[in-house]
Amino acid sequence: MINQTQTLLLIKVTILAFIVGSVSLPNVLELVSPFWLLLFFIYWLIYSDSHGIYTAALILGLLLDVLQGAILGQNALALITSSAFILSVKKSFFVSNLTTQQVYVFFASLIYLILFLITHILVQGLQIEWLVIFVPFTGAILWPIVRFLLAKLKQ
Amino acid sequence: MRLFKLFTPVLLSIVLIFLDARFSYLDNFKRFTLTLLSPIYVIVDLPGHVIDWVNDKGTENELLVSQNDYLEGQLIELKAKLQTYNNLALENQKLSNLLESSYLIPDHNVKLARIKSITQSRLSKKIIINKGLNDNVTLSDLVIGSDGVVGQVTEVTPLYSTVKLLSDPTQHMPVKNSRTGIRGITKGLASNEKGMIIEFIPLESDIKIGDIFVTSGIGNSYPSGYFVGRVNSTDESLNSSFMRVSLEPTQNMNKLELVLIVKEKND
Repeated sequence: MINQTQTLLLIKVTILAFIVGSVSLPNVLELVSPFWLLLFFIYWLIYSDSHGIYTAALILGLLLDVLQGAILGQNALALITSSAFILSVKKSFFVSNLTTQQVYVFFASLIYLILFLITHILVQGLQIEWLVIFVPFTGAILWPIVRFLLAKLKQ
Repeated sequence: MRLFKLFTPVLLSIVLIFLDARFSYLDNFKRFTLTLLSPIYVIVDLPGHVIDWVNDKGTENELLVSQNDYLEGQLIELKAKLQTYNNLALENQKLSNLLESSYLIPDHNVKLARIKSITQSRLSKKIIINKGLNDNVTLSDLVIGSDGVVGQVTEVTPLYSTVKLLSDPTQHMPVKNSRTGIRGITKGLASNEKGMIIEFIPLESDIKIGDIFVTSGIGNSYPSGYFVGRVNSTDESLNSSFMRVSLEPTQNMNKLELVLIVKEKND
């Protein structure tokens, strides 16, 4: 079970992630913008205990699928798998410096992107704008800002 | 145990992906959840509302009067053009009657909607408009701009609707060449923001660069006669049995602010 403080933080970061992710950007920026929900979820994940994380990832992923008009389960599958990766390095993540954390975020975003694209290709064919391959880089670059802002929100 | 905890949601996600891709059982659940989540759209759209409100308050009377004069002029010009169109339509109807054809001139209802500054999935080309179920918008309604077709309504909530653009790779629209009547089906291209192609047109068909394709209305899914795109290249490769026709949409999607939702009057 997730305790009340953690639930409150999860609700806050989820709403924020959905809002930030829904803001319209120019086409190129939109393609390379990070997986906001993943970044925000990683922040919540490193400060929460390990109970109910996959269920939370499933629910949030499904909500994002509905909000973005994506295939139901596409973001959920990617978020669950990326969360499993972050959980496996959680102890190291927690004590690492910012640069090492950025490397972990990069790999989590890469896992997310690979699963996201596999689902997309299997369902809709190889119709992809290749700029999306930069998403893990932007995720890693923006991680310090996300961490700083969410730390303010947590206080 | 930990693997089991991971395996269950992963399996559930895969099942949901399969169900959503192959069947439409989950459409009602998606619509209901999207309605619950639509306050997110309201929040995202709030700054735009505030800017519009400030602009409206700050607009001077003189400017409004001059805009009104300009719009009245435009209205008269359009009415004059409409008269020509009506004459042509009547003439067409007479000819159709002479030929004992059952063709009827379609009568359409249109509804004005504004595009919201809200984004959707990065790999699909969709826009959100500020009209929904409360304004009688329904799934599959055609959405047009001043210069041609924009796309089709694919999701409806009480306040908002999602429109899949013509250039989305999963969007297909039956069209015909306005000059020769040759029919085909368009398909968007993900790699090209403005591009569309028409597939399965037989080789040596009479299609020239600059030809206009319009909605054909086949299958009664869309009203017919609205501009879709202009031919910018044709490719008759020897290895293929079909001609590849590239279209540029007549409607510039980047400059859109207002769109019209078209419904046939007998709907």
